[in-house]
Amino acid sequence: MEIPYEVTPRRDTGLYNAKLGIWLFLASEVMLFGGLFSAYVFMRLGIQDGVDNPWPWGVSVHKNFVWLGAINTIVLIASSVGVVFAWVALKERNWRRYQIYMYFVVACAVVFMCIKTVEYNSKLNHHHGIKLVDNSVMEGTILNKTDRISFKGEKLTFSLNGALPAVLRDLEGDAFPKFKVTEGPEGTVGVEIQSLSQFKGWFADSRRAASERLTEERKRFRGELAGGAANPKPVSVVSSVTLTAAEPFGLSGSPRKIVAHTETALNYKDGVKVEGKLVNDDVLFEVHEVDLQLVLPTKQRDSVVWSVINDEHAKQQFFTSQSKKYQELLEYYKKHGGVIPEEQLRGRFLNVQYVHVAAEGHEGEHGKEDKHADVHTSQSNPTAGGGEGEGKHGPSKHIAVARDKIKFMGNHGPRYGTYYAIYFTMTALHGLHVIGGALVLLFFVVFGKKLYLKNPEHLANRVEVGGLFWHFVDLVWIFLFPIMYLL
Amino acid sequence: MADAHELTKTKKSFAAVGIALLVFTVVTVTIGLAPIFDFGPPGPDGMDFVLGLAVATVKASLVALIFMHLNHEKGLIYKILLFTVLFATGLMVLTLFADIDPIREQFDTLQTTRGWLTEKP
Repeated sequence: MEIPYEVTPRRDTGLYNAKLGIWLFLASEVMLFGGLFSAYVFMRLGIQDGVDNPWPWGVSVHKNFVWLGAINTIVLIASSVGVVFAWVALKERNWRRYQIYMYFVVACAVVFMCIKTVEYNSKLNHHHGIKLVDNSVMEGTILNKTDRISFKGEKLTFSLNGALPAVLRDLEGDAFPKFKVTEGPEGTVGVEIQSLSQFKGWFADSRRAASERLTEERKRFRGELAGGAANPKPVSVVSSVTLTAAEPFGLSGSPRKIVAHTETALNYKDGVKVEGKLVNDDVLFEVHEVDLQLVLPTKQRDSVVWSVINDEHAKQQFFTSQSKKYQELLEYYKKHGGVIPEEQLRGRFLNVQYVHVAAEGHEGEHGKEDKHADVHTSQSNPTAGGGEGEGKHGPSKHIAVARDKIKFMGNHGPRYGTYYAIYFTMTALHGLHVIGGALVLLFFVVFGKKLYLKNPEHLANRVEVGGLFWHFVDLVWIFLFPIMYLL
Repeated sequence: MADAHELTKTKKSFAAVGIALLVFTVVTVTIGLAPIFDFGPPGPDGMDFVLGLAVATVKASLVALIFMHLNHEKGLIYKILLFTVLFATGLMVLTLFADIDPIREQFDTLQTTRGWLTEKP
């Protein structure tokens, strides 16, 4: 099919067709991203400092990510410049230079996505938060899957009507425990199970049998069976089974699948009950910062977080840092008149501070660090003030957090808070655009030679149109970077 | 085919814009990080936000005008963009209405008197 006006402009629009098309498409893209930016504004304005799930204000939160974001900005700008130069090269009929520029652009896109991956991985796998019962929040890292509940199971009780018990995926070690069916519908009691495949086979058979029994009971109830009169007794079919293990087996229970647990039992969401003995349900945590936005100032010194961290030095560090920032605010408002607005008093600047809990044997180092900081107090500044935290100190202590003190814990994924929800939505959608744009540009350079030889101006127009999309992607990032990483 | 002189001029303007964009990126990062750019009260606040967005707008305009050739384009494209801008602004402004809430303002004042101003850290 021949598409008209690939090179020559149409008389009524004054444009070649593809250009009009891409601008219409970009207009719709503006509305797509506009809606999301609007959602961002909506959510951010709706946040009340110190009342709602906090919005991570300012660079202090993202100091590890600011540089990644800044590098990505530079990478995208470089790629945008690359696209326009590739277009100019085509206009000059220089195929070789066109190729170099285009491959450079695609390489930039790859670098961008790699940096994005590092960032996502860090947010999803290395940064966690724990909200304690009094709404104080510790941010840091949950160590080595200790969010899981360690348990020694002896007995499993579950229903034959449901799906395969989720607990099987939480079993520790390679060896499947030896089970014996001790309670259940007739025919199943006494069966011994030695392996997972055997378990699956037995489960499928027993489930079929249980369902057939139920059908039969129903028929009997309705009097449909030959020779039987209607039986007024309600249907009752045993479909629950209990498996007893020959010796206790290790379980590492995923907290997402467990609704409740006690010293002697785990209750799974799918209705499976495990009896046995709780080994350990403490969460091992490395604290990087403490967030007391949701704790009233009068109660901050007695917050649960300090009894959990149990380190006088860390507590001192928090309040020294807080009062330093408070003085800065006080001075500012004295100079400019007025009192400190309560958004400031409740907000992140005063109530979120870096703390470092030194591992045993490293306290000495710590003290030195502090004297050092005191000397430079006069030079310290508000934003960089938050920066003197992790990194400079020795190893951190791993704190055991009792599970009954925890209200919520999670990684910095979309569920963690409004900010992370919109962060992932917008950056991921932008990332998809980067991938899409890069694929289109890659196509123009890998398969473009034939068209170049036939009609170079047509290829130049294609690159211009692809470039327009690419610049739009860059443009979105120009706004995303400051609002997501810096401000 | 455009003449060589014009292409050289175009190349120069593209390079200049590229450098300007890099400089503005540095400015954006400095607004977030360095105290000399911290206008308004210490710490992050609305002032930093306005400044950051202003720089971003300048950068975006450079990209749109030079890289996307919007400084000399056919009238039809401006017409399309006019509608886009109208709808996008409308969308943003509608959102702002959500912030009007007299009840919450009373609540804010209550919080102040109940919490911070009575006792300071």
